[in-house]
Amino acid sequence: MASTEEQLLVKKIQDGDEQAWSTLILRFEGRLTNYALRKIKDHSSCQDLVQETFLGFLSNIGNFDPSRYIQSYLFGILGNKINDLLRSRDKSKIIDHAVDSSGNQLDAGHADSAMGASTWYRGDEKKKLENDALIKCLNLLIEHLLQKKDYLKLKSIELLFVKGVSNLEAANILGIDNRTVASHRHYANNFIIEHLKKLHLSPDVFPQFSQQDQD
Amino acid sequence: MTITKATLDAFIDDHLNEQDSIRVEKAVRESPELHTLLKSIVASRDIGDHSLGAIWRREHLSCPTREELSSYKDEALDTQRIDYIKFHLEIVGCNACQANLLDLNSAKDPKANPAAREKHKQFLKNSKLLLPKKQ
Repeated sequence: MASTEEQLLVKKIQDGDEQAWSTLILRFEGRLTNYALRKIKDHSSCQDLVQETFLGFLSNIGNFDPSRYIQSYLFGILGNKINDLLRSRDKSKIIDHAVDSSGNQLDAGHADSAMGASTWYRGDEKKKLENDALIKCLNLLIEHLLQKKDYLKLKSIELLFVKGVSNLEAANILGIDNRTVASHRHYANNFIIEHLKKLHLSPDVFPQFSQQDQD
Repeated sequence: MTITKATLDAFIDDHLNEQDSIRVEKAVRESPELHTLLKSIVASRDIGDHSLGAIWRREHLSCPTREELSSYKDEALDTQRIDYIKFHLEIVGCNACQANLLDLNSAKDPKANPAAREKHKQFLKNSKLLLPKKQ
């Protein structure tokens, strides 16, 4: 959850306070520009994207939940804008959306057979609940490991989930054996499944849990 | 480099470093199976399926705070924490934290720079039209 000071800043902007808006820009402009520069080398384009990001934030300020981290939200908007800009480049051609700009479903190969039929009927609200529940469970997992100062397990799980490496590669990076990494993955999955159940959600709606142990 | 479903997930989110990203892109272009898998992941996301990795990356769940990064820069944290943040920055390659650290390293008061001050003033002037009206 965002700090009280940050929540107050958002509240002031929502009330039309120019000084608060200026403070927010000064606070986040540098890190956002550096983020964009890592993906797009042209400084001028980066500045444009950062300004568009601020405008995007401001145009939705009425709906912004002050308890959210401003930084994550701004990086999210900027990331989407960067992807839009890169869409014209080669890479995006291989990850084209399965739905076109008019909302029509495009051929998604064997995607249909890989999706449970129930997936199609889940409403947006339910998806949001599931998403929020996963955020909560992942946060609990990370906090739990940090409290125990179990950095090895945290690193292992972060490599598997965030960087998407295989068990073997994670083991090589961390200098531990493959089985230990597999046990870390198992631990994380069980932790999340247990906490999802406590939130009265079935792990079945998260296809990842049935696909995790492939490596 | 073994390309798993989670690797493709990170690739879609542009979370891989440049070298790995090029490797994955090349592999996807050369392998119809990987290409189909990539398309199925995108389609699955479009209908709202969840991916732990995508959520973790999007919400920056394990990112140190700005204050912690500042302490990291000054080496004012315990060694285990420093080691973890180094791992998060260099091995996981978190773009947001790298950008933050770079900003902290080059932090200077934009008000002290006349060109930056003018630009800030101009943007503020244009954008304040979008500010909600004061009650």
